[in-house]
Amino acid sequence: MVIGAWISVFLTLAILSYLYKDNPFYKVAEHVFVGISTGYWTSMFFWTQIQPNLFGRLWPATEYDASSLWYKFYNLFGVFSSVFPEGGIAKGHDMHLIYLVPFALGIMMLLSVSSKLSWMARWGIAYTVGMAAGLRAYGFLNSNVLGQIKGSAFQIFNSDLPYFALVGESITNNFVILIGTITGLMYFYFSREHTGNFGRLTKVGIYFLMISFGASFGFAVMGRISLLIGRFVDLMHYSSSAYNNATLWILLIMVLLLGYSAFMDKGRPVESPVNDRTD
Amino acid sequence: MMKYIIELILSIGKVDRRWIFLVIGLAVLLPLFFPLGLPIRATTATQRVYDAVEELEPNSKVLVSFEYGPSTKPEIHPMAIAILRHLFTNSQKVYVTCLWPDGQFMAEDALTEIAEEEYGLTYGEDYVLLGFRPGNEAVVKGLVSNIRKLYTTDARGTLVDQIPMMANVNKVKDFDFIFSASAGYPGTIEWVQYAADPTGVPMSTGTTSIQVNDVMPYVQSGQVKGILAGMPGAAEYEALIGSPGIGTSGMDAQSIAHLVIVLFIVFGNITYFIETRRAKKY
Repeated sequence: MVIGAWISVFLTLAILSYLYKDNPFYKVAEHVFVGISTGYWTSMFFWTQIQPNLFGRLWPATEYDASSLWYKFYNLFGVFSSVFPEGGIAKGHDMHLIYLVPFALGIMMLLSVSSKLSWMARWGIAYTVGMAAGLRAYGFLNSNVLGQIKGSAFQIFNSDLPYFALVGESITNNFVILIGTITGLMYFYFSREHTGNFGRLTKVGIYFLMISFGASFGFAVMGRISLLIGRFVDLMHYSSSAYNNATLWILLIMVLLLGYSAFMDKGRPVESPVNDRTD
Repeated sequence: MMKYIIELILSIGKVDRRWIFLVIGLAVLLPLFFPLGLPIRATTATQRVYDAVEELEPNSKVLVSFEYGPSTKPEIHPMAIAILRHLFTNSQKVYVTCLWPDGQFMAEDALTEIAEEEYGLTYGEDYVLLGFRPGNEAVVKGLVSNIRKLYTTDARGTLVDQIPMMANVNKVKDFDFIFSASAGYPGTIEWVQYAADPTGVPMSTGTTSIQVNDVMPYVQSGQVKGILAGMPGAAEYEALIGSPGIGTSGMDAQSIAHLVIVLFIVFGNITYFIETRRAKKY
């Protein structure tokens, strides 16, 4: 528990130290993050899908027969008993040999590492791309095209609505949505030059887009601040005596080492990736 | 005097950006040490999520999906906690899935804290963690057609057929409500496109702030019932259920930091205009 807290504090402060300048602490944290993420994802993918849902369907425990050629082949892998346990894989599946097809496609995708056999990877990629395109075409058409058209087709002069409301539905806001939608769409019509009255309308569209980008920027800032709050809350928590004042000690050591490094580098021309002002 | 102020503003405009980082850091840190207790008022979008959950009958089947990891935990975890609290208070049955591998960690964390420790509920009868399956939108599509094809076991390795609350739950249409706690792809949009819209099961969501603009059109059109927008959304929801938590405690820091950032933007713009005017002059 305490060791975990110290590691967490070190990694947090190491990443934040990049705000001062690129340094070995940051590099260590960056590499650890990439390595652990890859390892974790790979292991999760294997144990939640490949082992139970692929191998579990090819060699299910329900149809285990040690005398059959198929399970004799399976028993050859018995040395990896956690993946291929004795008596077949009991994950609630029946045997479906059709799953040999995705298994083969998966192996073919891995062959992209070999320059001679990399052409085989195209089959797996082609299947994945085709499936994703089919899935997405349906989803976008239904929810983004039809759903959004239905959502924006409203009665402007709805007598149940107030004339004006800052938040929520109102006749004024209905007009804002109508004008914003039409002028925004007009801006993306490039078959006609944006001049004259048409140009004026597209300019209104630009203003709507700018407001939308501004809102996105504001939300992005809010999100980043939230993440910083989260890290600070953890750092404060780990600065307590229950964790042997992990935050304070690691911060002190890091500041001293970075300060010493800066002192030793004094006078040397240093490129700072953070402060790239040229004036 | 005016000249002095202009020179001061210009000198602030040339300050090393590391000083700005430090000021932002302090603006976030100090309110965490000395809370101001600024009021929190729920927006319409948050209120709609609350109302959608309140409208559910007791013992409704609610699918909660965890699509976030440690990198977005400060934003999404508070709202996941608040939603679970609300659902368990109203005696709903909660089924948890994860479209992100690290979402399973987050779900385990939240369920241990809320379902086990706070409410003392029984696993398999009141809540179940089905866990993560890779495949992004294909997983959502699979859940819509047949849950048992994807999930033969739950996250703890128990056969799904042996879990009492999984009886008569075979596809998304068997649920009464979906809630997606999402930090990106795959997440809310995929749940709308492949589950909520085709099946008509009502859904709400909680997202990171950066996603709000992408999800808002679905909220406006009624495809999604409200949205919890980042940490403020979580704080508002905590206020609605009367259970202040991590979201609420961070809101003072959030407000002060925004104020400081706005001031920096104003100073930056003033400096820019002064410099442009001077450049034209000479």
